[in-house]
Amino acid sequence: MFNQFGSTSETLSKASAVVLRIGTDAHLYDDPEDVNIAPLLDSKFESEKCEALKRLLALIAQGFDVSNFFPQVVKNVASQSSEVKKLVYLYLLQYAEKRPNEALLSINYFQKDLGDPNPLVRAWALRTMAGIRLHVIAPLALAAVSKCARDPAVYVRKCAANALPKLHDLRLEEHAPAIEEIVGILLNDHSPGVVGAAAAAFTSICPNNFELIRKNYKKLCQILPDVEEWGQILLIGILLRYVVARHGLVRESLMLSLHGMDSNGFCEKDGLVRDLTLDKEDGGKSDSFDVNLVNVVSKCYIEGPDEYLSRSSCPDTVTSAFDSKETTSIAHNEDVKILLQCTSPLLWSNNSAVVLAAAGVQWIMAPLEDVKKIVKPLLFLLRSSSASKYVVLCNILVFAKAAPSLFAPHFENFFICSSDAYQVKAHKLEMLSLIATASSITSILREFDDYIKDPDRRFAADTIAAIGLCAKRLPTIPTTCLDGLLALVRQESFAGDPESVDGEAGVLVQAVMSIQTIIERDPDSHDKVIIQLFRSLDSIKVAAARATIIWMVGVYCSLGPIIPRMLTTLTKYLAWSFKSEASETKLQILNTTAKVLISAKVDDFQMLKRIMVYMLELGECDLSYDIRDRTRFLKKLLSCKLASNEPTEDSVASQENIAVHVVEHVFGRKLKPFTPVALNDRFYLPGSLSQIVLHAAPGYEPLPKPCSFVFEEHDQLSDLDRQREAGAELDGSQESSETGDEDGSSDYDTESSVGSEFSSDDNERKVSNDASDPAAPLIQISDTSVSADQEELRSKRALDLWLDDQPSTSNQTPSAVNSNQSSYAKISIGDIGSRVKPKSYSLLDPGNGSGLKVDYAFLSEVSTVSPLHVCVEVLFENSSGEPILDVNLEDEESMKVADSSEQTLVGKANASYNNVPTLIPLEEISCLEPRQSAKRLIQVRFHHHLLPMRLTLHYNGKKVPVKLRPDLGYLVKPFSMSIEEFLATESRLPGMFEYSRRCTFDDHVKDSRMENGKDKFLSICECITLKVLSNSNLHLVSVDLPVANTLEDATGLRLRFGSKILSSEIPLLITITVQGKCTEVLNLTVKINCEETVFGLNLLNRIANFMVEPSSLTS
Amino acid sequence: MLQCIYLLSDSGEVMLEKQLTGHRVDRSICAWFWDQSLSQGDSFKSLPVIASPTHYLFQIVRDGITFLACSQVEMPPLMAIEFLCRVADVLSDYLGGVNEDLIKDNFIIVYELLDEMIDNGFPLTTEPSILREMIAPPNLVSKMLSVVTGNASNVSDTLPSGAGSCVPWRPTDPKYSSNEVYVDLVEEMDAIVNRDGELVKCEIYGEVQMNSQLTGFPDLTLSFANPSILEDMRFHPCVRFRPWESHQVLSFVPPDGEFKLMSYRVRKLKNTPMYVKPQITSDSGTCRISVLVGIRSDPGKAIESITLSFQLPHSVSSADLSSNHGTVTILSNKTCTWTIGRIPKDKTPCLSGTLALETGLERLHVFPTFKLGFKIMGIALSGLRIEKLDLQTVPPRLYKGFRAQTRAGEFDVRL
Repeated sequence: MFNQFGSTSETLSKASAVVLRIGTDAHLYDDPEDVNIAPLLDSKFESEKCEALKRLLALIAQGFDVSNFFPQVVKNVASQSSEVKKLVYLYLLQYAEKRPNEALLSINYFQKDLGDPNPLVRAWALRTMAGIRLHVIAPLALAAVSKCARDPAVYVRKCAANALPKLHDLRLEEHAPAIEEIVGILLNDHSPGVVGAAAAAFTSICPNNFELIRKNYKKLCQILPDVEEWGQILLIGILLRYVVARHGLVRESLMLSLHGMDSNGFCEKDGLVRDLTLDKEDGGKSDSFDVNLVNVVSKCYIEGPDEYLSRSSCPDTVTSAFDSKETTSIAHNEDVKILLQCTSPLLWSNNSAVVLAAAGVQWIMAPLEDVKKIVKPLLFLLRSSSASKYVVLCNILVFAKAAPSLFAPHFENFFICSSDAYQVKAHKLEMLSLIATASSITSILREFDDYIKDPDRRFAADTIAAIGLCAKRLPTIPTTCLDGLLALVRQESFAGDPESVDGEAGVLVQAVMSIQTIIERDPDSHDKVIIQLFRSLDSIKVAAARATIIWMVGVYCSLGPIIPRMLTTLTKYLAWSFKSEASETKLQILNTTAKVLISAKVDDFQMLKRIMVYMLELGECDLSYDIRDRTRFLKKLLSCKLASNEPTEDSVASQENIAVHVVEHVFGRKLKPFTPVALNDRFYLPGSLSQIVLHAAPGYEPLPKPCSFVFEEHDQLSDLDRQREAGAELDGSQESSETGDEDGSSDYDTESSVGSEFSSDDNERKVSNDASDPAAPLIQISDTSVSADQEELRSKRALDLWLDDQPSTSNQTPSAVNSNQSSYAKISIGDIGSRVKPKSYSLLDPGNGSGLKVDYAFLSEVSTVSPLHVCVEVLFENSSGEPILDVNLEDEESMKVADSSEQTLVGKANASYNNVPTLIPLEEISCLEPRQSAKRLIQVRFHHHLLPMRLTLHYNGKKVPVKLRPDLGYLVKPFSMSIEEFLATESRLPGMFEYSRRCTFDDHVKDSRMENGKDKFLSICECITLKVLSNSNLHLVSVDLPVANTLEDATGLRLRFGSKILSSEIPLLITITVQGKCTEVLNLTVKINCEETVFGLNLLNRIANFMVEPSSLTS
Repeated sequence: MLQCIYLLSDSGEVMLEKQLTGHRVDRSICAWFWDQSLSQGDSFKSLPVIASPTHYLFQIVRDGITFLACSQVEMPPLMAIEFLCRVADVLSDYLGGVNEDLIKDNFIIVYELLDEMIDNGFPLTTEPSILREMIAPPNLVSKMLSVVTGNASNVSDTLPSGAGSCVPWRPTDPKYSSNEVYVDLVEEMDAIVNRDGELVKCEIYGEVQMNSQLTGFPDLTLSFANPSILEDMRFHPCVRFRPWESHQVLSFVPPDGEFKLMSYRVRKLKNTPMYVKPQITSDSGTCRISVLVGIRSDPGKAIESITLSFQLPHSVSSADLSSNHGTVTILSNKTCTWTIGRIPKDKTPCLSGTLALETGLERLHVFPTFKLGFKIMGIALSGLRIEKLDLQTVPPRLYKGFRAQTRAGEFDVRL
């Protein structure tokens, strides 16, 4: 009976939906402006107001700006109807920042609603009030949040936790301690829902305030399973970071236990671990875990992007990074045990993000034998939505790279379904080729065989590449693979005109390349395969595949007994087909013929010579200039060979003739033996965004340094007290740290441009001028009229009064508030120039370079070659006992280009770089005596502002690959501008172009000059400027000094630096604001305004990092 | 944290924008996104995490609607993706599906829901049963009411009682005159049959779905007769971990209404209920294709709504297919669907026909994959059996019901 009724109502509702879309908001969305909205807003009927608001929201949804209705909408905030209220709030949040004056009108109602008995009303009011982002009401909002943090209703407390990041986002430095305190209260809440939200607040406000976690650690662990799923994700991360900071990594974990394995370090005594891992695998250690990679991974988790980039030693010579003091053992550490216990059931969570976060903790902290329990839950995630499938696969790939044995038995899970997206398929293929073992390879190859026939040809080509990888890893299978691949090549080449089917060409090229990779391992036993490939040359039409095979002719021309005998026929065939070839094939033919000629035997020589001459003639009048160039080059080079009648001249003659040597060297070289690829991948924490996009996203934080959080009861307490004190002191003078825009109009005539002095040519003179009067820095006081009473005006109470009493005058007041800036003085700092020392990095340490030590430092000079180049000073030093000869530094990329002309298969893209060499080389140092050092200047153009550049260092006839890492601070150049220009530019770059970070600074404390009676502010300024200019290439625009404050308090001190990004000439402004007392550690807020968001954020992180670093300069 | 959420229609129009934090995201990001997805095609559309020049984008596509979220800072990408999936689920639950018209017609509800689900870029209330109490789903009555009176609020003015309790998924005190609880085992069979006709992989992905309408604060225990066959599982937050760890019993306080209690996987099954035998021969520009579908091992219940679909290769220029049972349709994008329904008693369904290849091609060198669909009511193919469902305090007039069904999940038969 019910069934019938149900079905009738369903048909009815369908009918209504179809006929008219009655009762929905369809007409409002389609035509929001068909009536006049303004009178509706003023209507006395709730329903009409509601309709008007819906129309406004429809306009917002469609991207129109309807902020002009703001005053009328704000009035309706007083409405009793919950729907009207909700809609008004939605509207307010959209536009409050744009119409700050009118938005203030609503504050009273929020205040009233906050006292409402209905928790939902309180929560809404709080959410909206915190969300409207006005600095003026921030103190009120903060008071409201701290009240709501103690609210009886859980929902309200949860909203209070969510409101904290909103307030934090307004960057009210002086309220930071209060905000952090509320975070602590909420983390200690007994309701899991609140704790989850508090975890989110903690992550975005004070992720390194481990003291807050320490107090509640056990409780947080216990409550973790009950926290909401979203809170769990973040809370897991927080707990992990805390444990690492407090106790360090776990000795038995995957991250460290393997480490002990090969270095015989501190793990030696832990016989238990060894036994466990050794009898676990049949194939032995090296098979189940990639020890090197595990070390790289664990190192990457700990160190930030800056350290990674400035790490001087090559990643594949990772040495013991972890001190045994910085580790802990699970057997003795209660905290670690609890963490592992409380996260392991979360592997069963319904939310894939929770599962991945929990798996990350187990991966990093769990003992080796327990890590395998993350495998099945992770694999189960592959059955979720296609979007999460991709992300999970990306993470599994990293796990599998380090520990293939974990996933090897589960290879079936990575078999490809027809419904998978292309990226998922590609990742699964990579996974399969990673985890294939001798036992599973037959099934995997059979699968691959199926994939090759897949209609998606790009995927088929990837499969063939994967076969090549498998064959490379597993020595047993190449023969089977080769037969299959050869058959494929034959079949593909008969498949008809490859142009007609897309992707077919790619499959063929990939097949030939996979064959080449397999042959490369052991060419001697595969000469039959090579011959077969040569034979199929006639039927293969795809230029890139032909080029590869022809290249192989050249490389393997003297291999085995049969190939040398085929050469004349082959070259004749090539000469015959030369005219009809594509240009990349033509280049390859020319190279190959030259190689064949060099290694030719006596009886073939005359014939080959004639063919060469013929081809050179053809090449000289080719349409493509590349080929003409190559022809002329070869003609010159081979002239000696072509003139002679014998394949090898007798030794006496050849020694005189350098050309012969050159030719032999260029074309007679054998292929280098197969070398494994260097481990230069960068890994990020599992589950992070950075791991997916493969660069450090802004805000990415590696794990804290092991044991960096040392808990000492006494110190912590006094520190907290001090903070609270400082907070209380600052409460009244909120605006003092606001921007000092008004100062720009005052007479500004200081000659403080320190930054430019370094870069200008006559800096010698100026510096000496300044140095002549070092004790008298110029202080100019621009405005001293602010008194304490005016400060009072801005206090909370006054604002309250004003809000209650005279809302009508709201137009003038905020600006009046703003104009009551406390005064600042401009100062100029003189004698810094001589003290700035650019930081130097090590390129090669003497241990690796048999006594040759190479350091480099970035210079602030602007390159003469092109605006994209950076000047780098390289210091060579011989610390060995013997002289070092022929030291030179070369660009690896450019060498590759040279190589590629004879080797590369497919036309390389990097030929098209804008014709500027990436490295302006230095003059070679012919001899470096022991203890002697030499300086050279090179100019470098980095391809990317984060990626290191690969260079090759030559010495004593040896070649060593080294990496030159860009320093972000020197990818900008000083931009000299006046303070007015600075402020004008700054005001043009608000919102998303402005970002800031906070950090601490303590150089001035150590600076001994502090004691000798010098002005404290000045020495702080000096310290900061010195630090900044030693690490980056900037121009100091101005220094603002707060005058109204006490002598002890440096709060309000502000330094501005101007610069331009080297590559794009986009201006980049840096403002550093100081907070704290002169004699103690200062809190700095570094703010960057720049259009180039990614670069700016990276630079911001760089600055924040080097400000914290202990200074190397000792005065 | 997330900064903004956009809903894009299948033509790239921005239907809705919801700014979440003070850092406004300009709409131009959607234009960039759409340009990229037009120029790069499917492989961009299926990329869930994209690094655009200014923002990181997370996207999911549900029934043609793109849910796009932006962030500028590091955050767990799965969190964003899971959240967007949750939004899509809730919306389709509220509106009875998601499509352009439904979203535009109910944009106010969508706004209100989004506002409730996420606050300052961090998820706030995502539990469907709580959301239902805060924002009433559109239904016939409220629509009629709004037509007649012009005034019907769908925003509740009281806080749902569950939102603050220690079981946030359940309203504290629902009242029902008859207490009913239904348990459904819904299983999907994933299988891969390779070109040699061998079963490479066969596994069951199953869900325990419940519909509980129980008065008060019930505490339920559900146990299986053979829990050992379960390979992996994931639970609804209401399930307590401890009892499961110790003796594989599900102990929980259920949410009100329908929900998914757990999902599980049973691996390495040896047999499929049906077989598909495709054959293809090609010579001199034409191919002959024949596909046989039949029952391999009778599950004991009727196999219904059998379909077989596959994508014709690009190199096929025209196809002439016919079957002795059911209907065959070929869409313009070369997707071919054969709707069989039930297997007749007297004959084996067979699809046969010829494919003409494009000129110049002698024979077919790529082969399609067939996707099989079927449904079997009343049986769980994994063999999982529910032993009993107990309530701690048995309410009066309790009705318990159990059902099971199996359908094909990703059932690929390669040719």
